[in-house]
Amino acid sequence: MEAKIEPSKKTISKNTKKKASGWEILKILLFVFIAAIVILPILITLFASFKTLPQIGAESALKPPTALNLENYKDVIKNNHVFVGLKNSTILVVASVVINSILSTMVAYCLTRFNFKLKKVYLAVFLIGMIIPGTVTEISRFGLMVNLHVYDTLLAPILIYVGADLMQIYIYNQFLVQIPISVDESAMMDGASYFTIYWKIIFPMVMPATATLGILKAVEVLNDMYIPFLYMPSPNHKTLSTMLFACIQDPRTSSIPKLSAAAVIVMIPTLVIYFVFQKFIFSGIAAGAVKE
Amino acid sequence: MFKNKDLKTQKKLVLVTFLFIPTILILLFMIYPLIKLIGLSFTNWDGLSPTYNYVGLKNFKKIIFDSPEVWAALKNNGMYFIGHIIFIPIELFLAFLLDNRVRGCKMFKTITFLPYMINGVAVACMFTFLYSSQDGVLNNMLQYFHLNKIGWLSDPSIVNYSLTGVSLWRFSGVHIILFLAAFQSLPSDMIEASIIDGANSFQQFYKIVLPNIKPVIEIVLFLNVRGALQVFDIPYVMTGGGPNHASETFTVQTINTAFQYANFGRACAMAVVLMVIIIAFSIIQQKLFNLKER
Repeated sequence: MEAKIEPSKKTISKNTKKKASGWEILKILLFVFIAAIVILPILITLFASFKTLPQIGAESALKPPTALNLENYKDVIKNNHVFVGLKNSTILVVASVVINSILSTMVAYCLTRFNFKLKKVYLAVFLIGMIIPGTVTEISRFGLMVNLHVYDTLLAPILIYVGADLMQIYIYNQFLVQIPISVDESAMMDGASYFTIYWKIIFPMVMPATATLGILKAVEVLNDMYIPFLYMPSPNHKTLSTMLFACIQDPRTSSIPKLSAAAVIVMIPTLVIYFVFQKFIFSGIAAGAVKE
Repeated sequence: MFKNKDLKTQKKLVLVTFLFIPTILILLFMIYPLIKLIGLSFTNWDGLSPTYNYVGLKNFKKIIFDSPEVWAALKNNGMYFIGHIIFIPIELFLAFLLDNRVRGCKMFKTITFLPYMINGVAVACMFTFLYSSQDGVLNNMLQYFHLNKIGWLSDPSIVNYSLTGVSLWRFSGVHIILFLAAFQSLPSDMIEASIIDGANSFQQFYKIVLPNIKPVIEIVLFLNVRGALQVFDIPYVMTGGGPNHASETFTVQTINTAFQYANFGRACAMAVVLMVIIIAFSIIQQKLFNLKER
């Protein structure tokens, strides 16, 4: 296997080498340009978060701050619900990741290991789920949430995050199909029940998928503004996203340097997740699209 | 025999216990709202009062024949759609290069995907600063080159281009990663064989790679239709749909119709219209793709 891959890489690089090295430089310049477009807005925001308002007007946005001035951060933390947002976002992330991984693997286990009457209905529901535009169906879900008495509680977003995530079940299905059925059968020979097989064999075996999907879910929940915005309006139910949105509308923090500080605070959790778990994130995104 | 029967009851037990909660959740939070949405679209419900009247197709007639603002909003969605469509060839090309054809591709891959990881509201903050008419970075740059300032977010004829730019900044990386994943899933001997046959990079790409990643291109197109029709947080946070409704998208308008103007019936009808558009688009797209195949 190894030997087979090696020569192919060589031929590819040889192929590009044949062309003038100017092309090589051009390619790198192209990506440096793209990297600049990606990074500059972030860098400018980071710089601005350490500057004062007069400085913003007076000096170039690309000029690094001269001192590590933390006033903006202090103001944002004093005037806004930063820690409340952090706490609520954490609760939402943990609850939806844990519940989701258990429920989704259970459904995927049933869908891939058994034949039953409702199976076709389930698969049809997947199709419907792909087509329904989530943002607008919120209008009719809204009344339901009020009637269930979960409006303006953390339960409302949790129920939505775990209730309708068909994509996760779909990806789990892909992983479960790859585990040979003989694994189940040999466990059964040893007298294991279906429950034991799920809990002791299947669930641990899809742990890599769970890690990937959990990380993707965490990022999705952390970055979602829409659902907490609709369902949790009160200040003590702010998440990081809605807290930042409130900062924009709050005259005390809507100036560029303070808003930049707030934006940097909100950016940090997902960026940390990204740099630590990058591999999982890429493989998860690939799994959703490439595997048929 | 006995054991078989035992297994059967066990299977039933597993199915019931494992599927009970997920099924209830799906029914309650997906199917029921969908049915209710369609039902409410024929009413004049205001979202609060306990009663409402059926008004037949009035909401739909109003949306389709008597709401120039809805069509204007859809046109704005169209700009996001076209912007992303134009970027697909570029994204494909960049992904092709990132597939081991440029030095430092791992680092560039990390950077390309970075914007998608950033909180949408934070992205909106960042670009509000860049686009700001007073101390905005872009206008300062224009001034540096002795050019006139541009009202990036205040000029009705420009605001949608500015916002589409934000959307491109944020989501192009996802498409590139999807394309890249598709490239990497291709067996390497396929390209190898084409190289032996004397195919150059362009031929490799056009004749071998492109036809084989068609499913992923289809997914990206579908995501684009869905995404472009549902754009919400970028305009809602950055301009609130302004100036003077110029940057309102369909979803912003639907949400405002429901929650600001308390016209849930019509908002539900708008949601149904959006759903129909998405379904229509995916059918057309599938037809087009199958046509090419023949």
